[in-house]
Amino acid sequence: MAIFTARNRHGGLKRYYDVNGWLFIGPALVLIAIFLLYPIVQSLTLSVYSGRGMMMKFTGFGNLVRIYNDPIFWKALTNTITFFIIQVPIMIVLALIIANALNNPKLRFSGLFRTAIFLPCVSSLVAYSILFKSMFSVDGIVNRTLIGLGVMDQPINWLTDPFWAKVLVITAITWRWTGYNMIFYLAALQNIDRSIDEAARIDGVPSWGRFFYLTVPMLKPVILFTTITSTIGTLQLFDEVYSLTEGKGGPSNATLTLSLYIYNLTFRFMPNFGYAATISYVIVVLVALLSFLQFYAVRERR
Amino acid sequence: MDRLPLKTWTLRAAWVGASLMAAAPAFAGEITIWCWDPNFNVAIMREAGERYTKAHPGTTFNIVDFAKADVEQKLQTGLASGTGNALPDIVLIEDYGAQKYLQSFPGAFAPMTKKIDYSGFAPYKVQLMTLEGETYGVPFDSGVTGLFYRRDYLEQAGFKPADLENITWDRYIEIGKAVEAKTGKKMTTEDLNDGGMTRIIMQSGGKWYFNDDGELDVTGNAALKGALDTQAKMVKAGIVKPATGWNDFVKGFTSGDVASVVTGVWITGTIKAQAAQAGKWGVAPTPRLDMAGATNASNLGGSSWYVLAKSKEKDEAINFLGAIYGKDIDFYQKILADRGAVGSLTAARSGAVYQQSDAFFGGEQVWQRFADWLAKVPPVNYGIFTNELDNAVTANLQALIAGKPVDAVLKDIEEQAKTQIQ
Amino acid sequence: MTKRLMSDRLTARLGSGLRYGLLSLAAFLSVFPFFWMLIGATNITADINTGKVTPGAALLDNIRSFVAQVDVPVVLWNSAKIAILGTAVTIIVSSIAGYGFEMFRSRLRDRIYSVILLTLMVPFASIMIPLFMMMASAGLIDTHIAIVLPTLASVFIIFYFRQASKAFPAELRDAAKIDGLKEWQIFLFIYVPVMRSTYAAAFVIVFMTSWNNYLWPLIVLQSNETKTITLVVSSLASAYYPDYGAVMVGTILATLPTLFVFFAMQRQFVQGMLGSVK
Repeated sequence: MAIFTARNRHGGLKRYYDVNGWLFIGPALVLIAIFLLYPIVQSLTLSVYSGRGMMMKFTGFGNLVRIYNDPIFWKALTNTITFFIIQVPIMIVLALIIANALNNPKLRFSGLFRTAIFLPCVSSLVAYSILFKSMFSVDGIVNRTLIGLGVMDQPINWLTDPFWAKVLVITAITWRWTGYNMIFYLAALQNIDRSIDEAARIDGVPSWGRFFYLTVPMLKPVILFTTITSTIGTLQLFDEVYSLTEGKGGPSNATLTLSLYIYNLTFRFMPNFGYAATISYVIVVLVALLSFLQFYAVRERR
Repeated sequence: MDRLPLKTWTLRAAWVGASLMAAAPAFAGEITIWCWDPNFNVAIMREAGERYTKAHPGTTFNIVDFAKADVEQKLQTGLASGTGNALPDIVLIEDYGAQKYLQSFPGAFAPMTKKIDYSGFAPYKVQLMTLEGETYGVPFDSGVTGLFYRRDYLEQAGFKPADLENITWDRYIEIGKAVEAKTGKKMTTEDLNDGGMTRIIMQSGGKWYFNDDGELDVTGNAALKGALDTQAKMVKAGIVKPATGWNDFVKGFTSGDVASVVTGVWITGTIKAQAAQAGKWGVAPTPRLDMAGATNASNLGGSSWYVLAKSKEKDEAINFLGAIYGKDIDFYQKILADRGAVGSLTAARSGAVYQQSDAFFGGEQVWQRFADWLAKVPPVNYGIFTNELDNAVTANLQALIAGKPVDAVLKDIEEQAKTQIQ
Repeated sequence: MTKRLMSDRLTARLGSGLRYGLLSLAAFLSVFPFFWMLIGATNITADINTGKVTPGAALLDNIRSFVAQVDVPVVLWNSAKIAILGTAVTIIVSSIAGYGFEMFRSRLRDRIYSVILLTLMVPFASIMIPLFMMMASAGLIDTHIAIVLPTLASVFIIFYFRQASKAFPAELRDAAKIDGLKEWQIFLFIYVPVMRSTYAAAFVIVFMTSWNNYLWPLIVLQSNETKTITLVVSSLASAYYPDYGAVMVGTILATLPTLFVFFAMQRQFVQGMLGSVK
């Protein structure tokens, strides 16, 4: 591979460096170009067309106008943003608290706890949707337990009430992904020098103070990383709502997300591939914007 | 044998690697079919295949079973890709979606007007498979509806089977209240996120979301208005146990939680699977709306077989559908007896199985009754946007139940639908 | 003095009680659905539907029913083949690229890298149809290779390895260069062994995603002989009258391999994560 070396050619060092650089990233670049960039460009071109199935006509900005006038789109956008604003912070904070609780050398059974809490994210979409639907049915185990504990006296219509359906979706995502994020924090926490924490403890800083003023700032890069991946995941939210609501995003479109709407426009409704492609670029713009904001927010405080 | 040159070895290794990853190619004479219910249309297609193979030993069948939503999704993706090799030879399509596929993917399905004798089939089925004078596919099962009820619960509440014959929905609600008062059981179960009930009631009133020209017919649609009103009344009367999806819906009546259910005939097999409830069930006609032109018969679902135009085995596939689904009366008897499938071949209805009485349903001639109701189902134009309208209806049903006037709700539905059906 | 110590001890004990309480609750909630799945597999469908929480005696019947409806060895083999081969190639291609992006930095390559990262934001649904058309015209529909191809260069894994490479000691590379090792030799004989726990963590993540993948295999696969376990369980669960006992057996079977991989590689997985977030 490294045929060009610094010794035998003029300016060879840079060349050697470059050739190796391209050789290492080459295979991945070729694959990405074929299986990711090319389809992306194709679907971008689709977004200036509109029509039924294969009967497509050029429409220019027609799809953007349609988006503007489409109440379902706005509903889906509002839902998606609601899920994002409520779910991501809850999950991140939970994951941080759990990771912090686990990161104690004196803790017994820590491996057991860690494994158990990580477990949900290995479950498959199919298994998980079957289980959650049966657990959260009107006379399911969750309602019966809550009534038994005296938390409430009427069963909650988890899947038929617009408000509780949203709560259920948020619960489900949080259940599945908190452990996954927790592992990142735990790994980062174990990298942190314990002596600083120890010193603060001896100085009488209470544990919550150490958590907020020492641990969290040191975890900032990881928090940023997990926040961005969770943002991408939540804004593209599909699996959970698709499987919990049988693909409908009900009740009353209360759990319809942008990705599910795209799916419906492509597969359930009269297929309009152009319009669906246009909406998918709304997600791209949103994610890019939010990621940028998150980066910016973290940078400023440094 | 000489030693093979390195290049050949590499090629061989690559070939072995590739064939490890690739599935075996289809060989000639194999008909691939997509359908969705292992206990129903999949099993029925297996039976059909076996029958055909007896006369045509060279033909084999590859019947592939996916979830229904998955079949639709794969079909739509395959049609959009424009290549034939991504699609099966025969696919099962639910009747509501038939026109959508025929109109938005012209040329994708094989026209069969001259190859199949459609005069033997129920006219409403043939009508929804016809576009611009050409008929595509072969009709399969009917979704004629009935009122399935628990004899024991109704008896306990003081009602005889005769009390349920040809009733209105208002009467049904009254009976429901009495049943709950006496037995503590809810009268029925419904998934309010599903448009099924709306469609049943609306079609029994002879209307659909669209008029015969395919134009939106919502605000002035008395049958749709009646359908929404009825559902709101049922929920307000407290006779509905809300279901959270298909499984929860099925669980409602199979577990004995509710006293009755109004749905398609294809549910019979599911109900009869509860062997412990034998003799406790009965069937009655679908309740009707209290308005002119309303009947005690309706339809929910039902599907038909379509042959893809680019299929390599097109002729054989058409021949197969024609030979079995087009004229094999004995086959229709068997699938009715084994699977509870009410076919839409009218000639099959004179068969012996239709006359049999069923001890599970207290000795009623269940099949004969469904066959009679089938003849009364009002034909409507399903149009091409049923899914969009279903979505608009279920999205606004909650508001109606919360007390919004029905005319305002109809207006909302129309508004939402308008932006969806371009 | 003693007072302060006392109160310290009290808070410590309180804190540790709280800690155990919180962790136990979180662990219980996380594991409960799995427990529910195991219970379900031992009950008959009617009992599962009514939400019975105690084990039943129908496990063998459910297994029998599942085996009768599904060609278990074939679907497991299909899933395993896709997941193991796909994961192996994905990790090779993507780790090489992640390493390359970090070790041989240039302005152009950094630009390319940011463009690639942006593609993480494109939802899969929007490229599904063009991708499918591509596979169809290449004649790859209904092959396992079509499932694996688009996942081979995983942007997330490239990103993950690039982050991890930042922790790879530069002295090791310099020493190897002085010893006359070529770049690919440094990668293969020094980087890979040093980063093995990073590889283990990547393996767990990619294997999990690949094994659980649903949407794309669903579209690409057309025949019974090529279907994966996830597809089969999903179609069983969507019958007009699903046999839930058999479905539960199926979900267990679909979940076990990922559990096994995770348990087998747990230690390396956590260590590998450690490297990636430095």
